[in-house]
Amino acid sequence: MERNVAVRSLTRGWALTLSALLGLALVYVRAALFTPIEGTQGPAQKIFYVHVPSAWASLLAFAVTGVLSLLYLRRREHKLDTIADASAEVGLVFGVVMLTTGPIWGKTIWGAWWAWDAKLTSTLFLFLLFVGYKVLRGAVVDPETRARFSAVIGILALVLVPFIYFSVLMFRTLHPAPPVLRAGAPTLPGAMLITLLLSVLVFSVLYVGFLMLRYCLSVLRELREEEAADGIS
Amino acid sequence: MGYPDNAAFAVVGYIITSVVVLVYTASLYVRIRKER
Repeated sequence: MERNVAVRSLTRGWALTLSALLGLALVYVRAALFTPIEGTQGPAQKIFYVHVPSAWASLLAFAVTGVLSLLYLRRREHKLDTIADASAEVGLVFGVVMLTTGPIWGKTIWGAWWAWDAKLTSTLFLFLLFVGYKVLRGAVVDPETRARFSAVIGILALVLVPFIYFSVLMFRTLHPAPPVLRAGAPTLPGAMLITLLLSVLVFSVLYVGFLMLRYCLSVLRELREEEAADGIS
Repeated sequence: MGYPDNAAFAVVGYIITSVVVLVYTASLYVRIRKER
């Protein structure tokens, strides 16, 4: 990608990111003022409107990394590895939100910050797997070796994503079954469902915006390194 | 029956979300600016 193409992509990335941040503020207002309080859990249940969308964005990002890792091993295109790396980093950011808001909500409804059940444990494992993915990428100097090794981790992590989603159905767990993506109609009341879907949309746009910016950052960094290498030679 | 008095938990959750997202946005801005 040429420098001017990267700069144009940056403009689109910033437009999406800033729109999503504005959307996030609107989600806060709608969740706080225009969405009913859940009867038994009280106002703390409103963490739901950031916890679930951040989990969605995180799993989406990790799944994208896994799929691109598969494609990279098949096609050996450098661009696929660069996007996979960008998606992994963005997934970790949303993972931090998911893994901090979850225990806060859990403390109020379960009386415990953490429970070692199937969903929480496998989600933490996935997060740590991607921490390892980023550490590995920082430790391997040769670009092709780095891409190949990290692609293997990305594919292994991809296997975990559906397991995490279906773990609430496969095991006895404290986590409730999915309230929206399930057999039959969603169990959430209308106003809560609209707030949740709005938040999922906002986090999805934020993911795409972050991904574009992080990808452009990698491209600009590579262009600078190439220019520096040309200057030396 | 009233609701449990636990709104502070939701506020903390929203603050953490905002801080994480804004810090990452700022980090992207600084790193991109450095490369341009």
